[in-house]
Amino acid sequence: MKGVSTQKKSTGYQRVVLKNSAPVLENESTRLSAVEFKQFIITGLKILYGEVGAALTFDVLKYDEDSRTAFLRVPSRGLVKLWSSLTLLGSYQDQACAFRILQVSPFLLALTGNSRELQLD
Amino acid sequence: MVRIKSRYLLCEINVTDKSRLLLLDDRAVMTAVRTAVARIHGDYGAAQCIIGVSVKYMNAHTGMVFLRFPKRCYKLLWSALPFITCMETRGQKIPCFLNCLHVGGTIRTCQKFLIRYNTQQLHRLLPKCKNEETRETSAEEADSEEDEVV
Repeated sequence: MKGVSTQKKSTGYQRVVLKNSAPVLENESTRLSAVEFKQFIITGLKILYGEVGAALTFDVLKYDEDSRTAFLRVPSRGLVKLWSSLTLLGSYQDQACAFRILQVSPFLLALTGNSRELQLD
Repeated sequence: MVRIKSRYLLCEINVTDKSRLLLLDDRAVMTAVRTAVARIHGDYGAAQCIIGVSVKYMNAHTGMVFLRFPKRCYKLLWSALPFITCMETRGQKIPCFLNCLHVGGTIRTCQKFLIRYNTQQLHRLLPKCKNEETRETSAEEADSEEDEVV
């Protein structure tokens, strides 16, 4: 896959980008760094899909610590595994948590706006 | 026709120390397969192992095992077999590895392959046998293998 600008479909290799707010934690004040966030998702993949699942390559493109929102990028054949393991990931260090996925799209540009929240004038 | 299809994997267990091979039984093999699948494929793999996965035949003298997998998930479970490094039985850990020789749709096809394989091995090994004793034991084992599976 090419370097940074990888959002174009090229030679049948398509990446899907997820925008999700995660996790909604019981204790709101817990802070998660980007590395901890990625480690948390890898742990979830490992529980559900084993070593093979933990080897799934996904990227955290952008992470906002205050709202705990992130952009994840994953090859399209790994989407089902990633999404299902995010759904079933229930606890972070003994706190109950939940992932909410806001948007999924093969194009990064499409995640900038949401036509449902569009305000006309 | 509605028929439940499955895949039978003929595997050979290789151990460095031949005498310890005799300690293995089908339950040890089953637990080794289950733990390997759970480690490699997680909860999803462990769930596939519940229904329809079993050890159909185990010969401790030659180390041949018939594993039964459902047709829908046999490739996934097959991919976890190379990660088995040791089997635990009666409190002892025996280092070993599994070699998959043949995949068949029924036990009968696997048995036919096993008989052909044994005759080939016999033809390879007999010229090398130094004395009558080893010659006889290996011929005996191959014969008993043929009869047992049926």
